[in-house]
Amino acid sequence: MTLPDKRTTITNIALFVVMLAAITASLAIGTLQLTPTEVALALAGQADPMTDLVVNQLRLDRTLAGLLTGAALAMAGCLMQTLARNRLATPGIIGIDNAATAFAVASVVGIGVSLAPSTMALTGAAVATALAFGLAGAKGTRGYRFIVAGIGIGAIAGSATQVLLSRVAIDTANAAYPWTVGSLNARSDQSVLVLAVGLGIGYLALMGISRALNTLQFSDPVAIALGTRLRSTRVLGLGLSVLLTGLAVSVCGPVGLIALLAPELARTLCRPGKVPLTASALAGATFMVTADLLGRTLFSPLEVPVGIITAIIGSPYLLWILLRPSQRSPT
Amino acid sequence: MSPTKTSTLAADAITLAHRRFIVAENLSVALPPGRVTAIVGPNGCGKSTLLNGLARIHTPAQGSVLLDGKDIHTLPSREVARKLALLPQDNTAPEGLTVGDLVRFGRQPHQGWMKQWSREDQRAYDEAMTAADMEQLADRALDTLSGGQRQRAWIAMAVAQQTPLLLLDEPTSALDLGHQIEVFELIRELSAQGKTIAMVVHDLPSACRYSDHMVAMKAGEIIREGAPAEIVSPELVEQLYGVHCELTHDPATGSPLLINVRRASAR
Repeated sequence: MTLPDKRTTITNIALFVVMLAAITASLAIGTLQLTPTEVALALAGQADPMTDLVVNQLRLDRTLAGLLTGAALAMAGCLMQTLARNRLATPGIIGIDNAATAFAVASVVGIGVSLAPSTMALTGAAVATALAFGLAGAKGTRGYRFIVAGIGIGAIAGSATQVLLSRVAIDTANAAYPWTVGSLNARSDQSVLVLAVGLGIGYLALMGISRALNTLQFSDPVAIALGTRLRSTRVLGLGLSVLLTGLAVSVCGPVGLIALLAPELARTLCRPGKVPLTASALAGATFMVTADLLGRTLFSPLEVPVGIITAIIGSPYLLWILLRPSQRSPT
Repeated sequence: MSPTKTSTLAADAITLAHRRFIVAENLSVALPPGRVTAIVGPNGCGKSTLLNGLARIHTPAQGSVLLDGKDIHTLPSREVARKLALLPQDNTAPEGLTVGDLVRFGRQPHQGWMKQWSREDQRAYDEAMTAADMEQLADRALDTLSGGQRQRAWIAMAVAQQTPLLLLDEPTSALDLGHQIEVFELIRELSAQGKTIAMVVHDLPSACRYSDHMVAMKAGEIIREGAPAEIVSPELVEQLYGVHCELTHDPATGSPLLINVRRASAR
């Protein structure tokens, strides 16, 4: 179904503008306070060396990492919710984040494997999904079995991370700590680059199957009757969700709530009937950058990891969304 | 309404099973082209399973479903969707979806990566909305409609698919009398325009009245098949439902009418 859809277009443009504002704020605010004009000048390469360093080296890298991880986590969440046809079924809830973290922490604290965190996080994400899928049995991604199995796997992976951290030298554990609660501080440039490539590919692939994804919002018989190849769409969707989550976690750790909040917001704003992938990505990127900005400025010079900020802001918002009565009124 | 090409749909000795439990074995049935076929029978006789088998929702354990002579499971899914539309029993929709957007989904099998909403899509959409008498309700959210209106919206989506074949699983199950008639008359109109239709119907008198061809099933087997006026008899009714009845004919339409229906053990 592709009719020119004003509401979605307007939403996407509005979210994009808000995202630009968040980016500007993230580049301008900090120990060194800058005006938007100074930021623009610095980006154009016409600022003094000090400003240039702060904007183009320190803040830009971090902001980019925030944008990419936010967008990836949000799209993965939107995708997983659609596949499971359940608004609670985000990668964070069904244990993918935790498993990716456990695997990546294992590689960081070094238990004889020296694979890059990206690869390890991806492996963890894939293992968790495969386990949840296997334990859920014939029902696939549908129904509560998948979610319950995933929650169990997430809990196991979470404790595995704790065990790993408790057995290594305190310095190593300290180094890995901000990352296990979700932070943009422990990122490696290489992981960010891999994420950027993965996100690009993932986004294009998702646009390719967006029509089929739209039909997954109906019951299986309706989707089949409309010509959707259910199995291949599900497998591809699940694979992309794992890819996006794994790569994002390898950069920022498990900032799970983004995957729950951003698609919720996108769904409220966009026209019903379409899976709001682009709007989710824009909202997720904005959430992440804003939360990180708050985390590093609110109690400056003390830095609060972004995962804790999203949890503090996100939880009440989530409760409100889940508890509010249906707002769709007759039109 | 634009002329639809004809297609044939038949089941060739199919066995349908839920997991290991065999629901129906060795069923063969062909839908008479351009006619309305009603599949009737008691609860659990396998009539919905047969319809889902014909609609390729259910893959047969043995045998094959033939669409224009070819095994339906070997054909590309979108190609099948351009020939066969289905109104399933479970038709939940995303919250807040409007009638217009639902009906537009019916054009999906005709669209591609490069092929966006075309003039032809718009025409098919308009025709479907007119056929189902939904124009006034295009912008209404589905969850604000009455049961009958909602069912007509879903039928409009299937009509927008512009398929020569239309399968409906209990299209009137949860509707009151007025809404039932509304839906059945729409089905007759679609048939008059040349569609081949099969529907699972719970209510035998409605099946008699609105179908040209009847498939009577019990315990996974087809026990009689033919025009309602020819096959419906007190014996068949007793065989199917375990009730006694007498048979007369509707003075207005001539279709078979059951009267004095009572439990078989009561006599």
